[in-house]
Amino acid sequence: MKSANNSKGVMEDNDEEEEFEHFDDFTLASSWERFISEIEAVCRQWFADGPKNLLEKGAVQVNQLKDLYTIKSEFKYATKSYCMEYYFTTVDDGKTLDWDHALHDLQLSFGVKEFVVIAPQSASGVVLDAPEASKLLSAVAIALSNCSCLWPAFVPVHDSSRKAYIGIQNMGTVFTRRFEADRIASQVPVKLMHLEGLYELFVSKFAYTAVDWSMNHFEVHFKMKLTYRTPIHDDEDEIHDPDADITGSSENPEGEMHGKAQWDDNFPWSKWYSAEDPVNGFELLAIWSEITAESSLDMAELENASPVEADKWFLSPCLSEYLSDVSDGSTIGFASQLHLLVKALEMSSEAKFIEDFISVFANSGSEALKSSAVVPPQTVLDRVLKNLFHEVAETEINSSPTEHKNSRSIKGAPQESLFAQFCLHALWFGNCSIRAISVLWIEFVREVRWCWEESQSLPRMPSSGPIDLSTCLINQKLHMLAVCIDQKHREAEGQFVDANDSMSSQEDLQSPTHNSSSHGASKEVSDRKDESSDAANVAKPMMLLKSHKIMHAPITLEPPPMTEDMHEERLKAAVALGDSYSFSAQLETEILASDMSAFKAANPDAVFEDFIRWHSPRDWENDENEENGASESSSWPPRGKLSERMSDLGNSWRKIWNEAPAVPASEQKPLWDPNREGEKVLHYLETLRPYQLLEEMVCAAFRAAADTLNRTSFGDLKQMNIKMDQLCITIASVLRIFLAQNTTTDTELLEDLRRLSTTFEHIEKLVLLAASLHVKFLQSPYLGQAIFTDCFNFYLPNMGTSSANAHNDTQREFDKKQQIRSGDRDLIVSMFPPPTANQSWRRVLSMGNLLNGHEPILREIIFSKRDRASRSYYAASSPKLHQQDIETYRMYVSGTSNDLGVALAVASFD
Amino acid sequence: MESSSGAAPEFDYLFKLLMIGDSGVGKSSLLLSFTSDAFEELSPTIGVDFKVKHLTLGGKKLKLAIWDTAGQERFRTLTSSYYRGAQGVIMVYDVTRRDTFTNLSDIWAKEIDLYSTNQDCIKMLVGNKVDKESERVVSKKEGIDFAREYGCLFIECSAKTRVNVEQCFEELVLKILDTPSLLAEGSAGNKKNIFKQKPPESTDASSSCC
Repeated sequence: MKSANNSKGVMEDNDEEEEFEHFDDFTLASSWERFISEIEAVCRQWFADGPKNLLEKGAVQVNQLKDLYTIKSEFKYATKSYCMEYYFTTVDDGKTLDWDHALHDLQLSFGVKEFVVIAPQSASGVVLDAPEASKLLSAVAIALSNCSCLWPAFVPVHDSSRKAYIGIQNMGTVFTRRFEADRIASQVPVKLMHLEGLYELFVSKFAYTAVDWSMNHFEVHFKMKLTYRTPIHDDEDEIHDPDADITGSSENPEGEMHGKAQWDDNFPWSKWYSAEDPVNGFELLAIWSEITAESSLDMAELENASPVEADKWFLSPCLSEYLSDVSDGSTIGFASQLHLLVKALEMSSEAKFIEDFISVFANSGSEALKSSAVVPPQTVLDRVLKNLFHEVAETEINSSPTEHKNSRSIKGAPQESLFAQFCLHALWFGNCSIRAISVLWIEFVREVRWCWEESQSLPRMPSSGPIDLSTCLINQKLHMLAVCIDQKHREAEGQFVDANDSMSSQEDLQSPTHNSSSHGASKEVSDRKDESSDAANVAKPMMLLKSHKIMHAPITLEPPPMTEDMHEERLKAAVALGDSYSFSAQLETEILASDMSAFKAANPDAVFEDFIRWHSPRDWENDENEENGASESSSWPPRGKLSERMSDLGNSWRKIWNEAPAVPASEQKPLWDPNREGEKVLHYLETLRPYQLLEEMVCAAFRAAADTLNRTSFGDLKQMNIKMDQLCITIASVLRIFLAQNTTTDTELLEDLRRLSTTFEHIEKLVLLAASLHVKFLQSPYLGQAIFTDCFNFYLPNMGTSSANAHNDTQREFDKKQQIRSGDRDLIVSMFPPPTANQSWRRVLSMGNLLNGHEPILREIIFSKRDRASRSYYAASSPKLHQQDIETYRMYVSGTSNDLGVALAVASFD
Repeated sequence: MESSSGAAPEFDYLFKLLMIGDSGVGKSSLLLSFTSDAFEELSPTIGVDFKVKHLTLGGKKLKLAIWDTAGQERFRTLTSSYYRGAQGVIMVYDVTRRDTFTNLSDIWAKEIDLYSTNQDCIKMLVGNKVDKESERVVSKKEGIDFAREYGCLFIECSAKTRVNVEQCFEELVLKILDTPSLLAEGSAGNKKNIFKQKPPESTDASSSCC
């Protein structure tokens, strides 16, 4: 061994020397010596480089550990090859690592920070026999001491599942630390199941070896960490109420599942699907940070202590795997169905008529269609239609649920509207195949026609009001139809249709005291010349100029409702006329003429000026000093005149006025024909092209799904609200481009839509997570928020990139913990309900420290014995050491009553 | 100038603009002044009027379809449909009548929020009739403040003297040309892939909506 060192000559720690390394003569050295020398060279290099340079040289971060990096090098010795890894941290703040941090196994076991591990490159990566292991270790130890490097070195021994290591560390001139770890995975001796036994095990280590020290003092320090897992609500336990026990426990638990409440019952998506709870449970870590024990008795006492007495509590959620799944559409949710809908859209251009997708199955159509042939039975179809058309709760129509401010920008339909609900049903109907959609659509249109023929009001649609052009065309058409049905219905009843306000007009019509001369008038007109600022004038009725009678505002005809395609037609017509001919608003002129007729009928003595005062108040100019109401009533008629533009000779308004007959609105020819318009709508619905239908459905489904998710209450989570905003904006902009290309199916556009569903999936998962945490932490929302924020920050970066580089990122696990304030401990304890009698007899409890009857799933203890390093002993050693205590014995114990891992570190001077 | 033969289209972009504001503030006059360099006393608009204007700006051939709506309350339900798909909205007030200015925030800005189907549409505030400087009651500063609050362009002009009339429309159109999403709508067939334009999770997206 010495010769290996000598053969290298008197190498100094400088880089230049290394350049000449290759010229050294190894011909006389044994292979073992060469091996050591190789290791030494690498260690020297690593040591010289320091963390910063190593990072530049390609050191990689160890999974999920914030500040631990590793760099490796490979060696050959005899026939085997070995891999040496150096683990290091970048921050050296001198603090001892605690288990508040995420630590590497070896760091935790042996209380070291940076270290070297050498292992054979075999399949299991572990040295199987002890002699080889110690030989390897001594090779590394020699190499390290040659370059006076103080890193501890470890070699794995035995089977990898034993996590057995041996190790050594040179701690300066006199000190050496030896390490050893092993594990008993089953049949742990009863003695070692309990704290007492573990204490005695530790004491035996130094009481036996350290003959120098007094045998009387076995005072040891230790810290303990207990991990508890919230009980899993397995179904069997749930249903075992006392009665069930008598009737027989052999009963199939599945049968009772239906009656059981699901976690997401109250969330908006539960109408459509039941999601797996993204939070499987919680792990509670109870930590006693500084305990001193002097005898086994103290330990026995501690074992009876409740975790409530622990110094610190940490909570970490156990999250379902599907959260981190790279989206493959396997998780059922809106997103998966939207994926299917996009698929259906792709196929929809294969046929010209919707009926083709149904009939094609009679004479075996394309393969693609066949594969999606599942159409639910008639009963399911009936149930869907019944829900759409008949099970409309009163609240659903009236309440306009707090719509997301951005969801209007998605060209879909309001969440509770008929078409939006149709789309949501379609997502889940027969797995959203094009065929199932076709079947559902045809039945849907049939049902809509029935409503039309029977003058039944269309459910889930407003029967009045302007048509919202920001919604999709089918929704506009259905709105139009609802208005037509309402109109038709009223006409059939002989009821006059009022444009202003149906409630007030009915009052007027029934009122016997109503002035008969002014028929067709709805109410007296107040002077509203300056409605915003002068409230006093509002109450005062306006008077006709010539007759000084009260002016009545006429009931006027309702302007025709128009859908966007009708507007499109008008616009095209206008553009076609172009500049050559001034665009004449035919319809608007008709409406103005109709208003004038109605006004004349309501106010027989009125003049044109009166009409202008009512209809276009700004074109009537009062004289300056007669502005206020008081003087106006005293001196009648008020001095004023029409505006210049209104009093022009060729004024078109006056022309229309002169030509307009006095006819009340009720006797006028209606401005539009609901029968005709209604039939047109149905014709549109019945002849809609499959691709057009699917296009509209995609838009409406995205919006309705987003709206549904958006109604989830997950508390005040700023980042989630931002995400929802972004989702809406993204959907809106993708769909806008999609709609602009209404020609044929474009693969790139379909790809965009698929990506959009994937984005949707991410948000959907986060919403579910947020909702789940919200209900679990209703009592201390900030805790739920803190945990959610951890999860959000953990998952989001992956979600953003998952589609692009799904495979190069190793699966990390979420491991963030939240410290629990003492005030919140009760809430956490309540998550551990005492086990039922049935549960407790089935379990054998062998550990102490029960929390509501639940034993920890993991117990970790770090024993340590410190001794004062006295100056006289280690005079020459590093000045750091002799001033302070030195940890001479350290034992890390981890496991349960039946799975025990022990790691021992002993420092000695020899 | 219609139907130029060959494959070259008549224009590069078609933009739809909308003019709103109280009755009598001079919307129709402003439009007429812009489209035919004339000023005359016009009859009040009945419902809605429409003009087309071709112009070349920034090297692009543009066709503007400008819809001029009536300000009367009775017509408001009708005119609401013209907001749809407009890339630009011109809000006009009369600098000599304060109520026409206050109504912009009380009524017209709300109408835009309610009926506009285009999130990104450009709004422009126009104070008309600056030729009547002696009768002015709304100061330029008030106009600027309003424009800042509502995030719109601002200009004062006179349809009568044609001061700033061209600039008013041109500035609005230039702004539309600067806005990719509006440009995409106006152009014929040029599609953009938003997933390639920007990362899907851009954090500043939320700020653009308000």
